[in-house]
Amino acid sequence: MKKITEEKLPELYSHISQNHDLFVPIDQDDSVNFSLWKDGANVNFDVLKTNTSPKKYIFPQCETFFNFKSEGKKLTIERIKSEEKPYVVFGVRPCDAKSFRLLDNVFLSEPMDRLYEEKRNRGIIVSMGCNEPEDTCFCNSFSILPNSIQEGVDVFTLKLGNKIFWEAISENGVELTNKLSDLLDDVTEGDLKEIEIAKSQVNEKVKELPFSNIDPNEINRDLNELFQSKIWDEISKSCIGCGSCTFVCPTCHCYDIQDYDGNKSGERYRCWDSCMYSEFTLMAHGNPRTTQKERFRQRFMHKLVYYPNNFDEYACVGCGRCVGKCPVNMNITKVIRKLGGENQ
Amino acid sequence: MEEMISKMKKIAYEDLSTKKVDRVIGFGKGDFIYEANPIFISNLEEVDLLVWDLFCVNNLSKYLINELKNYQKIGIFLKGCDSLGFNQLVKDNKVDPDNVIVYGVPCEGMIDPNKLSKKNLLKDLRYLRRVDEKLIIVTKQGEKELIAKDYEYDKCLKCKHPNPVVYSELLESNTLRNSILTDDFEEVDRIEDMNSEERYEYWSEQFSKCIRCYACRNICPVCSCDKCIFDNLDIGVSGKAKVDSEDQFFHIVRAYHVAGRCVDCGECSRVCPESIAIDKLNRKIIKDITEIYGEYDAGLNPSKSSVLVNYKLEDFDPFETSKGGK
Ligand code: SF4
Ligand code: SF4
Ligand code: SF4
Ligand code: SF4
Repeated sequence: MKKITEEKLPELYSHISQNHDLFVPIDQDDSVNFSLWKDGANVNFDVLKTNTSPKKYIFPQCETFFNFKSEGKKLTIERIKSEEKPYVVFGVRPCDAKSFRLLDNVFLSEPMDRLYEEKRNRGIIVSMGCNEPEDTCFCNSFSILPNSIQEGVDVFTLKLGNKIFWEAISENGVELTNKLSDLLDDVTEGDLKEIEIAKSQVNEKVKELPFSNIDPNEINRDLNELFQSKIWDEISKSCIGCGSCTFVCPTCHCYDIQDYDGNKSGERYRCWDSCMYSEFTLMAHGNPRTTQKERFRQRFMHKLVYYPNNFDEYACVGCGRCVGKCPVNMNITKVIRKLGGENQ
Repeated sequence: MEEMISKMKKIAYEDLSTKKVDRVIGFGKGDFIYEANPIFISNLEEVDLLVWDLFCVNNLSKYLINELKNYQKIGIFLKGCDSLGFNQLVKDNKVDPDNVIVYGVPCEGMIDPNKLSKKNLLKDLRYLRRVDEKLIIVTKQGEKELIAKDYEYDKCLKCKHPNPVVYSELLESNTLRNSILTDDFEEVDRIEDMNSEERYEYWSEQFSKCIRCYACRNICPVCSCDKCIFDNLDIGVSGKAKVDSEDQFFHIVRAYHVAGRCVDCGECSRVCPESIAIDKLNRKIIKDITEIYGEYDAGLNPSKSSVLVNYKLEDFDPFETSKGGK
């Protein structure tokens, strides 16, 4: 394990930036989002939940498959090749790191998603543990501890006071760490002790959080029963179908495929879609989910029932973004409770 | 507050039991002290869920559109800003006022949990109460006295109508709250003072943050089209691509479609997950309308003719004036 002091971070950033696009949580206009690091950027590691999740680097809101052009009877299709630099995302919290793996389940199983795979392979994930979980965090309900090293991360870091501890996990992580060796110091016995204490403290803190008794494993009704349940009428009432929850969510991964139609030439792209929208999965006959209740139900059944049926894990990581962002304060914690997912 | 809550419960109970209304829309308590949610009540047993506190910020008026499809007569609790939205819904023919009983609730201003959070006051918050211009909060660390307006929603700081402008029953005498605590158009002036490149850059940057969740549209009491063009790809005027041109197109169309109808309730800016300055665009239009047609507050007086809908020959010709800022 290595360490670096906070004052030296800008040096580390500029070093990483030489060969990579570096994305870090940046505070701009009073809101914190992962963005490209530039000299002088206002990096903020105190806010745990960036507005939107870092999933945008592996699954961008919008990306083009190919361009097409027709000339007379000839149709040319030009595949888009990636020419971008390798990138590093620094500061990915354990919940978000877990969400990357949940997206992998979907996009990297056959048939493999080419665009996703390419982005996934091009990036290095530097995760960062949390010491002060927020009131709206409930990662622990999905067996994610705030200081855990999630599968698939390349480096794990922990910020204690003005020290940032740095532990290479994967081969890529080791390689990056070696390149930064001039900037990183070795840790002392005392440091390791400090880390141990911080880890056990945070494990106690999560037990005290407001949502700590939420436990989706307690939902034991079968699929049909859940689907037919009366509770959906009641809890979907206030939902305005805005889709904020789906767009800020690190695990939502539905997308739409559209053509930009420029008459003789065009572009085929995909972009995030939301099950909360009236035109989601719109087909020739219309929308299979005609009311907001059905759309609302889809989001939560997907996270709590359908996805787990396919991959044996829940498709929520308890990041709490939807809790903070829903204009009417309706969110997955309320749904889980209503469905019986609560420890007494 | 306690007094208000009992009044609310009383009137909801009475009106539901005498079948004066068959539905009541109000606020219920959420999971946190700093959370109140829209609730919908038809059963007398649920009346007890009604609350009124410093977090009842949602403008409930828009729910009437959908709820009136299933209920005959609805009782609804509306604050000042919400009542403007209600009037505009009536004016836009989206809601028949005969089917609604408005319980007017004067408002002292709502508290923004994000502002508390930025000062680290949200965690372990156990209790809070407003005493005139002071906010008393109790956290694990003990009691603290704060200045209420430092923690009010931005939209409340600019509120011109804390008292309901329309109601069937007023639940409390009007608040004497000193409305408009900040300069009305100061922020708009600042943008007008930019040169055109700066202004273009400012708005491009704002709009490029948009994730196009459409929360701003969906919460808005005057964005009430049955089918929004942004939900209707077939017509081919807009796409879902996350590119600057589409982001800008959405924002300009949204702003222009609510022009002259926007009641300045501030809900759009409140709900935007990316904190985009949507209100500044609305307020620019309101400012222009005020300058061109004189003082006009949408939603204030439904019998007054709509400023951008009704054309008069002597109306000002905007094509004769300079464009944009100063
Ligand atoms: S559903 Fe909510 S809490 Fe769960 S991962 Fe998505 S945004 Fe986070
Ligand atoms: S649950 Fe909330 S954030 Fe999600 S679509 Fe409904 S209103 Fe919007
Ligand atoms: S609420 Fe904000 S992010 Fe969502 S569409 Fe409106 S401006 Fe864009
Ligand atoms: S545009 Fe914004 S401020 Fe105007 S009425 Fe709609 S939500 Fe309210």
